[in-house]
Amino acid sequence: MGSTFTIYLYTHDQTKADEVFEAAFDEIERVEEVLSNYRPSSELSRINRMAATEATTTDPEVFKLLETSFEYSRLSNGAFDITVGPLMRAWGFFRKNGRYPTRDELSHARAEVGWTKVKLDPNQRTVRFAVPGIELDPGGIGKGYAVDRVIDVLRDAGVKAALVDAGSSSLYALGAPPGKEGWKVIVPRPGDRAHAVAEVVLRDNSLSTSGSYEKFFRLNGRTYCHIMDPRTGEPVQGMLQTTVIAPTGTATDALSTTMFVMGPAEGRKLLESMPNTSAIWITNSTNEPFIEQWHWPGRLCRIQDDCPAAGEENRKQ
Amino acid sequence: MNRREFLGGAAAVAASTLVQPSSATMMAASDRVNLAIIGPGSRGQQLMRTFLRVPGVRFAALCDIYEPRWDQARKITGENTRAFNDYRELLSTKDIDAVIVSTPLSLHSEHVIAALDSGHHVYGEKSMALTVPQCGEMRDAVKKSGRHYQIGLQYHYAPWYREAMRLIMSGKIGQVTQIYAYWHRNNSWRRPVPNDDPKLERLINWRLYREFSGGLVAELGSHHINFANEVFGGIPESVVGSGGVDFWKDGRETADNVQVIYRYPDGKTLFFSAITTNHFDGCQVQVCGTGGSIVLTEADGTYYYEPKTSSSAVPEALAVEHGVVTGASYKAELPYRGQGRPLTVPAGTQGNPDFVACDSFIESIRSNQRPKANEDVAWNCGVTVALGNYAIDHETGIKFADHVRA
Repeated sequence: MGSTFTIYLYTHDQTKADEVFEAAFDEIERVEEVLSNYRPSSELSRINRMAATEATTTDPEVFKLLETSFEYSRLSNGAFDITVGPLMRAWGFFRKNGRYPTRDELSHARAEVGWTKVKLDPNQRTVRFAVPGIELDPGGIGKGYAVDRVIDVLRDAGVKAALVDAGSSSLYALGAPPGKEGWKVIVPRPGDRAHAVAEVVLRDNSLSTSGSYEKFFRLNGRTYCHIMDPRTGEPVQGMLQTTVIAPTGTATDALSTTMFVMGPAEGRKLLESMPNTSAIWITNSTNEPFIEQWHWPGRLCRIQDDCPAAGEENRKQ
Repeated sequence: MNRREFLGGAAAVAASTLVQPSSATMMAASDRVNLAIIGPGSRGQQLMRTFLRVPGVRFAALCDIYEPRWDQARKITGENTRAFNDYRELLSTKDIDAVIVSTPLSLHSEHVIAALDSGHHVYGEKSMALTVPQCGEMRDAVKKSGRHYQIGLQYHYAPWYREAMRLIMSGKIGQVTQIYAYWHRNNSWRRPVPNDDPKLERLINWRLYREFSGGLVAELGSHHINFANEVFGGIPESVVGSGGVDFWKDGRETADNVQVIYRYPDGKTLFFSAITTNHFDGCQVQVCGTGGSIVLTEADGTYYYEPKTSSSAVPEALAVEHGVVTGASYKAELPYRGQGRPLTVPAGTQGNPDFVACDSFIESIRSNQRPKANEDVAWNCGVTVALGNYAIDHETGIKFADHVRA
């Protein structure tokens, strides 16, 4: 994951806050040691090393997270896929800003991508890759999962109000600050944190944002972003940013990526089956950014405005 | 096959063919190993997760006097694991192959010995026990039981620690004369107590109370102490120590900073320091050899060569007057160690120390092989820890020979 985690919380005194912070950061470290792709010692790295050659046993927590990941893959017909790593590499988005791959690079990468090539056996609790080269990459779900686990730790410690934020892209609002209805969260414009496109008051739910404005390249008038559509093997086109609100960090992290890949038309159909979920898409398929929403509970504002206006409907600029 | 059925079958064979007891307890690699845990607190829960990554392992039972742990542990096993308040009931449960003991340090000897006496293999958390006599009783109990005991010193299995040990033993860094070890943190070492219930303080924060805990030397230093014992070939001859509750004056009894200096035969020395007010040095072991250094952290190891300040004993140029040497210039360079060279872990041996340790324990049970971190390793480390604490408490130098017989 390698993200910066920020935790705001209310306790009676500083000592209690320090104890709780320490327990929370211990939990983040534990999850990092389970999921990090950068650490050879992590459980996911072990599975990635072993599962192409043998059915690899893992513990119920990791197995369940993999099942959850593949459930999102199934529900989204493959728009969400934690095996997308080789495509990211082929498109040059590991550590770099990307480039157009050769036909051979692309076909080779596509052969190593696909959630259906990972076989989970719930009876044995094993993971097996049907082809070599598969990699599990928790990038689309791990931060939200870590946020949920931290919230568990805070609840166990008796904390009633907290905001846990992972890398400014996935957060969970626990309870509400004293005297408030909830935690006010501002969704910034794509690539412009100083201005808002939406604001919302969150209480006991999560919000995640996925954006394409940090890593991308342009070629022949097209923009290629770092978020892949695993179904086509190409970067998603025409999407700038998506934000999802749902009951857990795991759900919003996975769904914000999923909505980015699916777009508003296809995405809404999926969200219809998910209660208590809302979303914003900011597309750039035309010349101007365009905001679409699904059951957004807060305010939306136009891209060119400084102040949020009372948002009620989709706006076309 | 169930292990007990297998044992029963093997015993019947033994009557006629005199099969050695060691081969009678062999298990197939695919056989299920049923574990039980006494004390699934934070460390115990981490061990549970790790053991469940080993093929064929299942938790058949758990025991904790603090009942909220039951559901936490069941969440990890993913099933409605049988839970007990009383460890004796757990030990009388059928079909348990091995017991994990991850209770407070002062309870290790009682729980481990009872588990061994009831016929179980034991994975026991470090340090071995709170006192020197308890360590001795546990070592005797393991040997008497014929069961396997592995101490939870997972860095004994860490791939980069093993690679460091291989380099040290091959003479790569010359003669090791000193080891400097640090575990420095900047936090209170205190765990949040649910609902601030004072009745739970000693249960949750047992590490801070003398009746249960060996403090920083036991909980953190034992890893480094075990490493030094292995490098220097056994336990020290003497120790001096200092420490106290000097910063976190919150009612705790175990020191919030400790420094111990152990002397081994031939003046080999381990210096260990643990503090809770500054994180700069983090967790590291510096192994100082006459021909180089190795630095080990929680995640990796690095080798540094030992620069020579004088590149040669042969003079670069001689000043000669009338056929007589009157002076010579010698070449010297400012030492530069560079970035060091990362220790490379051999392919196929990478892994998380906890996983390698847990996997190795299960393999020990299945193949009836004595664990590497066995009762002798545990005793060496346990008495070194206990006497380090004794030196701190009594503010005096301690001779090991006055307290232990190796």
